[in-house]
Amino acid sequence: MKEQNSIPASKVARSAKFVGTGFKIGGNYIKHYSKKMFNPELSRDELNEDNAADIYGSLSQLKGSALKVAQMLSMDKNILPKAYVDRFSMSQYNAPPLSGPLIMQTFKKNFGKTPDKIFDKFDLKSTNAASIGQVHKAELNGEKLAVKIQYPGVGDSISSDLKMVKPFAFRLLGMSEKELEIYMKEVEERLVEETDYELEVQNSIKISEACANIPNLVFPRYYKKLSGPRIITMSWLEGLHLKEFLATNPSQETRNKIGQALWDFYNFQQHELRAVHADPHPGNFLITPEGNLGIIDFGCIKELPDSFYYPFFSTTSTNLMNNREETIKAFRALEMILPNDSEKQIDFYHQAYKEMITLFAQPYIKGEFDFSKPDFFDALYSFGEKISKMPEFKQARGVKHFIYVNRTNFGLYNILNELGASVKTDTYKPHVKDTF
Amino acid sequence: MATKEKIQTAYIDYVLTEGKKPNSVFSFAKKNKFPEEEFYKYFSSFDAIELQVWSSLFITTISEVKAQEIWETYSVREKALSFFYTFFELLKSKRSFVSYSMGNFKKGLHTPNQLKESKEVFEDFSKELINEGLESGEINERKFISNKYKDALWLQLAFLLNFWIKDNSAGFEKTDEAIEKGINVTFDLFQRSPIDNLLDYGKFLAQNAGFKMEF
Repeated sequence: MKEQNSIPASKVARSAKFVGTGFKIGGNYIKHYSKKMFNPELSRDELNEDNAADIYGSLSQLKGSALKVAQMLSMDKNILPKAYVDRFSMSQYNAPPLSGPLIMQTFKKNFGKTPDKIFDKFDLKSTNAASIGQVHKAELNGEKLAVKIQYPGVGDSISSDLKMVKPFAFRLLGMSEKELEIYMKEVEERLVEETDYELEVQNSIKISEACANIPNLVFPRYYKKLSGPRIITMSWLEGLHLKEFLATNPSQETRNKIGQALWDFYNFQQHELRAVHADPHPGNFLITPEGNLGIIDFGCIKELPDSFYYPFFSTTSTNLMNNREETIKAFRALEMILPNDSEKQIDFYHQAYKEMITLFAQPYIKGEFDFSKPDFFDALYSFGEKISKMPEFKQARGVKHFIYVNRTNFGLYNILNELGASVKTDTYKPHVKDTF
Repeated sequence: MATKEKIQTAYIDYVLTEGKKPNSVFSFAKKNKFPEEEFYKYFSSFDAIELQVWSSLFITTISEVKAQEIWETYSVREKALSFFYTFFELLKSKRSFVSYSMGNFKKGLHTPNQLKESKEVFEDFSKELINEGLESGEINERKFISNKYKDALWLQLAFLLNFWIKDNSAGFEKTDEAIEKGINVTFDLFQRSPIDNLLDYGKFLAQNAGFKMEF
């Protein structure tokens, strides 16, 4: 892989990068409309594709939190046109690596020693890149290790990066600045947490211990002594990424087994731990040669407070949904229906959200669900599309916790769909209340 | 008996506590209880001490980076990066002195007196790197410009020094970023680029096409 030659240095340079993108997108629109004058049939697909390519180009050069936002946008396939999604998905894999001397420097700062003094073997070329760091192979006492090193300055640049992403987010999502504010803040909090490698080691150990009894799941061992604020050392997991795994044409049985492990992992966390690994992008999973699911990144953990958990997951219960009054109470608690809404609005949102949730909760209704069927996803996407065109949904609704919980569950559904897995969905059931 | 190091340490101690140079070599010698001529054995003036503190920082860094096992396997770009990281790591131990000394740098484009000797040391080192890069092809030979490469590195150093002095980030992380990005850009410019190919192609056309282009 080519090492990255230039990262825009200061905030000014980074802004310039984004301004450049703005111009390019402007240009894409001009191109689109001038073509359209001659060919009214022209669809917006080409335009979307041009825009997505330009946005991706500038984001991937910025690295760090901007890349993270790109990843996040690509998770929510339902709110983005396909072309954006395809481009953004590329960012879920490799970003270019940093120089050898900087790695040496980071080690010296964290441990006062160079990596060759700490490990028996240390590979200075990184094997792959996470969005805010990169991974190196190492060996100590005969054990293979993965050493994750964070890029310097990532934490500091998060808020300024987000400020620059904002205008694009407004345009992509069609929201106003004020509405987006509380969501952006939630994203910022999670991203800042993600740069805290000491917290990540704690989380990793805690969650991997709590999930130890779930069948067919494997976690790396974490080495606290060899980890620090910018470095995490864990045992090396051998395995294939989802795309590579699918390319080997695995049997339906294996797909189901992996899918089941994934489902159990997420639903155990959501319903039992009430804290969930909220970053289900394919780069965070490995399928081991034994056909187990390996989980390799605990950077992003979303805690679910009771005030959110109960109203949200209770809507998966048909008992509640058949009781209009209680359902509206739950919607109010989730700020999907707001205090100033008129009777007519309450009717409308109740109806619309009920439809949405019934769709979303489908896998939970029966004890088993086949995620390989396109019907479910087509229905999800077309509903998302329909909603994005409704003026009533121009304004953002819902408490901030939705962002990560939706991202987690849509991410999970998407991966299960790609796997083509059929899973038992009643292994870890939501805890529900019927009255609020 | 005063040794060279002792005089140096005493001097740094004095300027950092008092915020200025001693009034005279005489008073400085008296205060530290050694005869004045001992001082002149090693230094001609106070400025000479500062000059030497600076240049020893450079000399130490260069010998340290070259002593690394990994040094020989580094590309020229990585060697430069390694120098800068190590240099600023070493500088941490003398941050107060560096800050004091830089406060007295004469403003302007000239190399400050305090860095005269350091610049020579650094330029020798830069030349070594650049020649190695030219030989391996990592750096592109350009007429008239190649001789100026070493100046570009010196400018980077001056810029980074100023950046570091103003850096408030924990562990001077921002300086690490500045080094990584700055040195990479510098070496990108040293590399063969599309412009070089364009010029080369233009030259080829001018010499060989042998026809006037009619538009």
